[in-house]
Amino acid sequence: MLVNRADSRPINVLVVGVGGQGVIMVSKVLAQLCLEQGYEVKQSEVHGMAKRGGSVFSHIRFGARVWSPTIPEGEADVLLAMEWAEGLRWLPSLEPERGIFIADTRRIVPPFAFRNRRRGADPAYITTRPDEVLDRVAGGYAIDATREAEALGNGRAANTVLLGALSTALGFPAEDWLAVISRFVPSKTIETNRQAFHRGRTVIEAGDLPDLSAPPAAPAAAAPVATATPATDRVTWRIEPSWCKGCNVCVTICPERCLALDQRKVAVLAAPDACTGCRLCEYLCPDLAITVSDGALSVAIEGAASPQPAAADPGSRR
Amino acid sequence: MTAMTKIDDRFDVRSWLREALFPHFLCPGCGHGIALRALVWAFHDAGIARDRLAIVSGIGCSGRIGAYIDTNTFHVTHGRPLAYATGLKLARPDLEVVVITGDGDCLAIGGNHLIHACRRNIDLTCVMLNNEIYGMTGGQVSPTTAEDRWTTTTPAGNIEPAFDACRLAEAAGAGLVGREMTLHLPALRDLLVEGLMHPGFSFIEVISDCTEIYGRKNDLGLPAEMMLCQTGSLRPDVYTSTVDQPFRPNRLRTGVLARSDRPGYLARISRVSDR
Repeated sequence: MLVNRADSRPINVLVVGVGGQGVIMVSKVLAQLCLEQGYEVKQSEVHGMAKRGGSVFSHIRFGARVWSPTIPEGEADVLLAMEWAEGLRWLPSLEPERGIFIADTRRIVPPFAFRNRRRGADPAYITTRPDEVLDRVAGGYAIDATREAEALGNGRAANTVLLGALSTALGFPAEDWLAVISRFVPSKTIETNRQAFHRGRTVIEAGDLPDLSAPPAAPAAAAPVATATPATDRVTWRIEPSWCKGCNVCVTICPERCLALDQRKVAVLAAPDACTGCRLCEYLCPDLAITVSDGALSVAIEGAASPQPAAADPGSRR
Repeated sequence: MTAMTKIDDRFDVRSWLREALFPHFLCPGCGHGIALRALVWAFHDAGIARDRLAIVSGIGCSGRIGAYIDTNTFHVTHGRPLAYATGLKLARPDLEVVVITGDGDCLAIGGNHLIHACRRNIDLTCVMLNNEIYGMTGGQVSPTTAEDRWTTTTPAGNIEPAFDACRLAEAAGAGLVGREMTLHLPALRDLLVEGLMHPGFSFIEVISDCTEIYGRKNDLGLPAEMMLCQTGSLRPDVYTSTVDQPFRPNRLRTGVLARSDRPGYLARISRVSDR
């Protein structure tokens, strides 16, 4: 698949990813290459949150004459996504008729996707499969570039694998690409990057593409802990009602808002399903009345069955 | 030092308490209860056996904390826990002696004992629970009460500047000086473990809250609000002036503030006791 360079308008390449993946390096390589091929090039980027694993994108436009540095929505000829969710986020920028979508299927799950603090909970990461996306775009490839790079001995060369894939869409000679790449990477890694670039080209040209019906691969280290049962089944929340003075600290401080004071002004677990077992209430209970521990869920209020003298007169508990 | 912020399920706070004395006498929301948990957790994490430990506490709300811990405890005269603890440590150097004291007990009435314990660098751990007031005796002004605050002895507002006890202890020569707040319980526990492990005198200031006598009378909010405000605005200016922690939301300087490896008093007394 090749971008049609006969057009009078500039060729637009949108490179997206998260901080640390090399989005800026890839766009620098491409911009330099296009300059050397005799085109006018304009490049602009947003990388403010890059160091925090945040969203990074870079617009590269080249052609006989380029006026604006940014790509209008729906006019990107190539969308190069170095992270799966970022690729989906920028999909509307792709030219609907001819746009080429090249994506790494590797998931980098951001911290804010872990909104459910329960142990073993799935992150709120998009579940769209690569084959579903490729059905919707004019053309493209989804490859596990990180795995390809790791097979070559350095997972950080994944961006160069994707550059290799990108090179098949733009049609410049491979030697020219490699000459520019070797100027931009550290001298020790030139050989690794050369191999990674060729690997990216081979994967696309030989059609050596992975099975797209599988969900996007997640790195083993970041995979959620597999648990057969939700965490509430393993958390026990107990209170010693005669020790509780009803100061309301636990009710205010609970991140899940699952505690409340009953009519006796004693803390109770009002929403056991919401409890994640974080133990904040136990730690900050000034009366040492709360105990949170792992075990079968039983909201056992000790002594609640027998009549408490404290229940009749809350003041006497002081 | 133990691993930071670990969750140890084997730690059972109630196994360290004299449960017959519970519920404790502290007011609803009093930060001293959280300090009590941090202390016994630190004993557990530091691996101190119960019969190797002695707790000396003075008069005040803080002084009552010692009585709730199921170990060797001494409840002594106002302001003098450091003096008693010095004698105890010299008589029984094998014991781990911990002093629990309050801001009034330690800085006003026992101020002399504090500076000389720091100067001697005697091998004790002094835990000062700072709630900025004499709570138990009826809410009199203490050396750490912030300016303009109402107390029973300053009905028109406190005109005295507040004391920074950590700078005092450091200047007087304490081996380890630290400060932490009850809101950050795991950090407080780790700091207490560090203090217990340090040979020589360790002085640890625990930022606590007096919710009834101080917070309610000064309109400082409900107990939970006071606790969350430990990170900054409620505290006297002396605590906010020396801070350079851009990534901490609070302006209060916490953690280990000073450390020196000066030989402790016991190491030096052994040199002369053999003569």
